[in-house]
Amino acid sequence: MQDHSVPIDINSANPVQNKTRYFRLLARLGTFTLIRELSFRGNFLVKVIVEVLWLAILLAFYETVFARTSVVASWSKQDYMFFVGCFFALNGVIETLFLENCNEFSNLVRTGDLDFLLLKPIDEQFLITCRRVDWSVSPNIIMGFCIMGVSLWNKGWEFDALRVAMFGITFTCGVAIAYSFMLVLTSCSVWLVRNQSLMEMWWLFSSLARYPREIYQRGWAQSLDIVFTYILPILLVVNVPSRVMMKAMQPEMIAFILVATVVSLSLSRWFFLKALRSYRSASS
Amino acid sequence: MPPIIEVDHISKNYSVFRKKEGFKGALQSLFKREYNTVEAVKDISFSIEPGEFVAFLGPNGAGKTTTLKMLSGLIFPSVGTAKVLGYTPWERQDQFRRQFSLVMGQKNQLWWDLPASDSFELHREIYNIPNQQFRQTLGQLTELLGVKDLTRQAVRELSLGERMKMELIAALLHRPRLLLLDEPTIGLDVVAQVTIQKCLREYHERNKVTVLLTSHYMRDVEALCRRVIVIAHGKLIYDGELSGIRDKFGQEKLLKIEFQADQPPPDLSQYGQVGTIEGPTVELRVERPKVAEVLSNILARHTIADVSVQDPPLEQLIARVFEEGGPST
Repeated sequence: MQDHSVPIDINSANPVQNKTRYFRLLARLGTFTLIRELSFRGNFLVKVIVEVLWLAILLAFYETVFARTSVVASWSKQDYMFFVGCFFALNGVIETLFLENCNEFSNLVRTGDLDFLLLKPIDEQFLITCRRVDWSVSPNIIMGFCIMGVSLWNKGWEFDALRVAMFGITFTCGVAIAYSFMLVLTSCSVWLVRNQSLMEMWWLFSSLARYPREIYQRGWAQSLDIVFTYILPILLVVNVPSRVMMKAMQPEMIAFILVATVVSLSLSRWFFLKALRSYRSASS
Repeated sequence: MPPIIEVDHISKNYSVFRKKEGFKGALQSLFKREYNTVEAVKDISFSIEPGEFVAFLGPNGAGKTTTLKMLSGLIFPSVGTAKVLGYTPWERQDQFRRQFSLVMGQKNQLWWDLPASDSFELHREIYNIPNQQFRQTLGQLTELLGVKDLTRQAVRELSLGERMKMELIAALLHRPRLLLLDEPTIGLDVVAQVTIQKCLREYHERNKVTVLLTSHYMRDVEALCRRVIVIAHGKLIYDGELSGIRDKFGQEKLLKIEFQADQPPPDLSQYGQVGTIEGPTVELRVERPKVAEVLSNILARHTIADVSVQDPPLEQLIARVFEEGGPST
C-alpha cells in the first residue's frame, strides 16, 4: 500500500478549481439527489403532479377574479399574472434548493447526525442548507418563468435589457432574503431541538410575499406594510423584481433591496454560526 | 515532533432539563424549568504522540465520546484547552478538519439510498482529492477490506459489517493523520471484528497514522493498542501501557486447579474467592502475594492432578477498574 501519511493539501490545488469547488459540489449533490429521487419514482411523480395541480388551481382562481374585474390593487391582469409567476419561480428556487434541507435540520440536531456535516472541511452553512436538491418541486421554477413569459407576451412587452438585468439582480436578492429568513428559522432548531414550526413560519412568510404591497396600504394594514418592508423585508422579495419588469422602475427600492440583501445574509449567517456554537451533539 | 493531541485540564458540563413526573409536572415545566448540571468530563489531561495507537476506555457514560467530540471540534469544552494537530479543534478550521477522521460505530455518514461509491465521490469533491490518487487509494482500501464488489450496492442493502467497512474507507480516503474511532466494531460478528482489526493494524503500521480508539471489546484493544487511557465518571484513572493495567489493578491471580478426587474439597473459600466449578476443576481468585502460600497449603492437604496460575481476563480486570475507579496517575 502507498504511504498515506501525507495528507492532501488543498492549497496545492488549482486556485480556480478551489473557487469553483462549491459549484461542482452543488452539481454533484444535485445529481445524487436526482438519482435517489428517481429510484422512488412513484413518490417523485406524485409530488410533481401535486405541485402542477396546485399551480393550475391558483391560475384558475386568478382567471375567475380577473373575469369580474380588470384591476386588483392597481395591478392589471397581465401584471398580476407576472407577479404570480415571479412568486412561483422564486418560491420554487427556495423549495428546490433549501426548504427540505432546512426542514431536516432539526432532525439532524436531535439525532446527532449533524456531527458528520460539521466535520467536513467545507462551509457548514453550504453543506447544511444545500445538501439535497428537491427535484420534485423544481418544475415550479420552469412553470413560474413560463407564466412570466406568457404575461409579458400578452401585455405586448418590448424587450428592455436594463429591466431584464435589474430583474435578474432583484430576483436573486429576493431569493437571498427568503433564504436568510429560512436560515434564521432553521438555526433556532439548535436550541428548540424539535422545530416543527418551521414549515408554518415558512407558510406565513410565503403568504405575505405572494401578494402585491398595495393590498397593505390601507388602514391598519399600513403598519404591516412598514414592518414587512423595512424591518423584516418579506414584501420586497417578489414585489421589487415584479415591479421592475411590469411597472415604473424605482431606483430607491432597487437600492434598498440590495442593502436589505446584504444585511439579511450577514445577520442570518451570524445567527447561524452563533447557533452552531451552542450545538451540544446528541449522545451516541 | 510535537504531540498530535494535547489535552490540558479539559472539562465539559451539560445543563440537563429535569422533567417532572405527570401532567401537572409537564404544565409546571412550561413556566418554570429545573436544570441539573452533568459533569461529563472532569479535568482531563493527556497527550498523544504521532503514530501512537491508543485505546480510550471507560464504561458507558464515562465521557469517552464527549472527549472525542471535543477533540474533533464538534462541541466546546466548559473549561480547559486542547491542541489537535496543532489546531484548536472547536475553531473548526478547514485545514484541521482535512487532517483527521471520526468514525462512529453507531452512526452512518454514507448516503443511505445510494451506493457507497457515490458517497466516496462526494467525499472526493469535499476533500478535493486528486482523481488519480482517489482511485488508487479507493482500490487499495476496498481490496484490504475485501469489499471491492460491494461499492456499487446501495448502502441500505449492505450488512452491518459491510457498512462499517465502507464507513472506514470513507474515513481513510483523504489520508487523515489522525483517526478517532468510536466503537467501530460495535454489533459486529467475530469475523467482521477481526477483519476490521486486521485492516486497522495494517493501515496503522504502513502509514504511521495516529489512532485513538474507544471500544468495549477488549479483543480490539489487545489486538491493536499498547497504550491505554481509562476514564470513569468523567475522570482519568489510568494512562499507560496496557500491560501496566495488570500490574496496577490486577491484584489477584486466577488459579485453575484440577483435583484428583471426583469433586473439589468444600473448604476452598478460606484461600480465596471460588469461581466456576466444573467436575473436579475449580477456578480460585487469590491475592497475588498469597499465591505461593495458598498453593503450598492446598498441595499439602489435597492431591492435585493439574494446576495453572493465570492473570484474570482483561475484560474482567477492566470491569473491575471501571467499578472501583482508582487513583489518577
